[in-house]
Amino acid sequence: MRGRRTSALLIALSLGPTAASADLSLHGFVEAAGGVRIVDNPTQARDATLGEGRLQLELSYEGPARSRLLIKTDFIGDGVEEEGEIDLREAYLDLSPLEVLDLRVGRQILTWGIGDLVFINDLFPKDFISFYVGRSQEYLKAPSDAIKASLFPGPVSLDLVAIPLFTPSEVPRGDRLSFFDPFARSLAAPGQRLAIREPATTLGNTQLAARLYRTFGSYEAALYAFRGFFPEPVGMDPSRRELFFPKLSAYGSSLRGPLLGGIGGLEFGLSDSRQDRSGTDANIENSALKYLLSYERELWADFTVRAQYSMEQMLDFRAYRASLSPGDPRKKEFRHLLFLRLTHLARYQTVELSLVGFYSPSDEDAYLGPQVAYKVTDRWTVTAGANIFLGRKDSTPFGQLDANDNVYVRLRYSF
Amino acid sequence: MTGLKAPAPLALASLLLLLAARPAAAQAPGVEELMRRAHLVQFYAGDDLRAKVSMRLISRDGQERIRELTMLRKDLAEGGEQRYFIFFEKPADVRDMTFMVWKYPQRDDDRWLFIPALKLVKRIAANDKRSSFVGSDFSYEDVSGREVEEDTHAVLREERLDGKETVVVKSVPRDERGTDFGYKLSWIDRTSFVVWKEEYYDKRGDLSRVFTADEVKAIQGFPTAVKRTMRNVQTGHRTEVTFEQVQYNLGLARDLFSERYLRNPPRDVVR
Repeated sequence: MRGRRTSALLIALSLGPTAASADLSLHGFVEAAGGVRIVDNPTQARDATLGEGRLQLELSYEGPARSRLLIKTDFIGDGVEEEGEIDLREAYLDLSPLEVLDLRVGRQILTWGIGDLVFINDLFPKDFISFYVGRSQEYLKAPSDAIKASLFPGPVSLDLVAIPLFTPSEVPRGDRLSFFDPFARSLAAPGQRLAIREPATTLGNTQLAARLYRTFGSYEAALYAFRGFFPEPVGMDPSRRELFFPKLSAYGSSLRGPLLGGIGGLEFGLSDSRQDRSGTDANIENSALKYLLSYERELWADFTVRAQYSMEQMLDFRAYRASLSPGDPRKKEFRHLLFLRLTHLARYQTVELSLVGFYSPSDEDAYLGPQVAYKVTDRWTVTAGANIFLGRKDSTPFGQLDANDNVYVRLRYSF
Repeated sequence: MTGLKAPAPLALASLLLLLAARPAAAQAPGVEELMRRAHLVQFYAGDDLRAKVSMRLISRDGQERIRELTMLRKDLAEGGEQRYFIFFEKPADVRDMTFMVWKYPQRDDDRWLFIPALKLVKRIAANDKRSSFVGSDFSYEDVSGREVEEDTHAVLREERLDGKETVVVKSVPRDERGTDFGYKLSWIDRTSFVVWKEEYYDKRGDLSRVFTADEVKAIQGFPTAVKRTMRNVQTGHRTEVTFEQVQYNLGLARDLFSERYLRNPPRDVVR
């Protein structure tokens, strides 16, 4: 017995170094990023919207039986917040205990649905501040502490997600970007922050999400379900002057596939605002129906256009209207949002020119995000762009950011 | 009623095919067949394939960029539908990106790209096959093959090219829209059907790109261009490609080419 164990150990040791070097990998990047407001903003003390150095390390270990451990950490020196920070972006273990089952346990980025920057059934946390100040697009998706089980019993696949620890979406609330204070019914003054109350960490508050999907030829169809909380603080508690995350259930579907030489898609969602089913509480977002139509096409070589139309219909609108107090900002029953993304690749795809635009005819607000990225070498990339916000009212999503137009530049070395 | 509809167009199509095939065969005996066999040798060798592919993208002033990837291919039918997986290893900014293609002979491919930093499965619009493949001098079409039926072919001459007996074929697109070449010359090996060289001429008739198979090895009996170059003579840019660890007939499963493995590549197969 003992001899056998020793020889097994010897074999393991002799295999060890070569196996380990192949199975263990370390990658990442170093990045310097800076951004500045280009318009005068009376609600913000600083002009800098972005100023940071960032080191990202991604350690990955391939274990036996299709297992994998991945740890991705950002070390940040932030000149705007004047602080250092360690941000554990991802830390998860992948396991395949059965032929038809994959598990991912730990901190992970979750996303699904077919929208580009429009999220209907993707109710996982987003970091909109990172997006609006010009960080890399990967920072828009915030990680969740979750367990994800993916089942592949046949042509139909199923993802089941449980999120025991709530992570909120990052929304403008006083740092870097101005925000609309719904209690004061105006833009918040400098230094003012919005108090936000997160749901308690209890077993009953565990968020659950599911996606059932399959392909029909070239077409991908999916059904979605979610039970948890609104990812954004759309509930108001006037007695404590706090925002909170009301309970939410959501159901939806999507279809995506070839259409007229491009890719067409549609997504539908019903959000059930469980703490205000009747819609009579003006302090809690009503239930809603959400629709998205998308179309993307390469118009000519290396030039792609994507267009989206999305619409949100507030349910129980009459009850909402009756519940308003005089002076409350009034939301509309229908919110329409148009989206356009143009992407042009040049010089052997080392230069990418892109433009992202949002326009809401119902909110009368808009966003424009032009960007140019140049891959100087395989390792060095320089990116520059702008975030432009337009709006007639301070209470609309882009309107509250009207005086936050900014430009940014990023320099990244990848390894 | 609907059940009766299908056979009628089918019968009409085969009748048209018969009519079309006869005069063509009489005019240029064998050229279509030659091109078809060359197409199978270049793009359908074995039932499936795995290869480590390194690409060196070299600009006119000598600046070099590297693309390293693992390619998997499975043929669902010889000369017909195919599945591709491409796993990127280098450069660092595309590492672990995965690209999946379901290729159909008669219509646009389905393409998906998984971006690991965003955990996003993106559907890629695929109507322009002349777009550059990962910034190289090869287009998507060069990588996965242009259908023989999309061009008309004529034998120009027979030629000895570096000691190889070749047939030189001129191919003209039937529909110039969606192509960036006016015509193409191919040097095809008379015995092995290996394409040793191609010259692409632009729509003004000027030479634009030159493909060469620089080293061809027999791997498991299949002639394989393990070194190949595409040179853009107008910009001075070129791409040199090396195929390593080439393996045919691994018995890759059809359901490997699915969203599951796009998100979570099978390391044992990719390695």
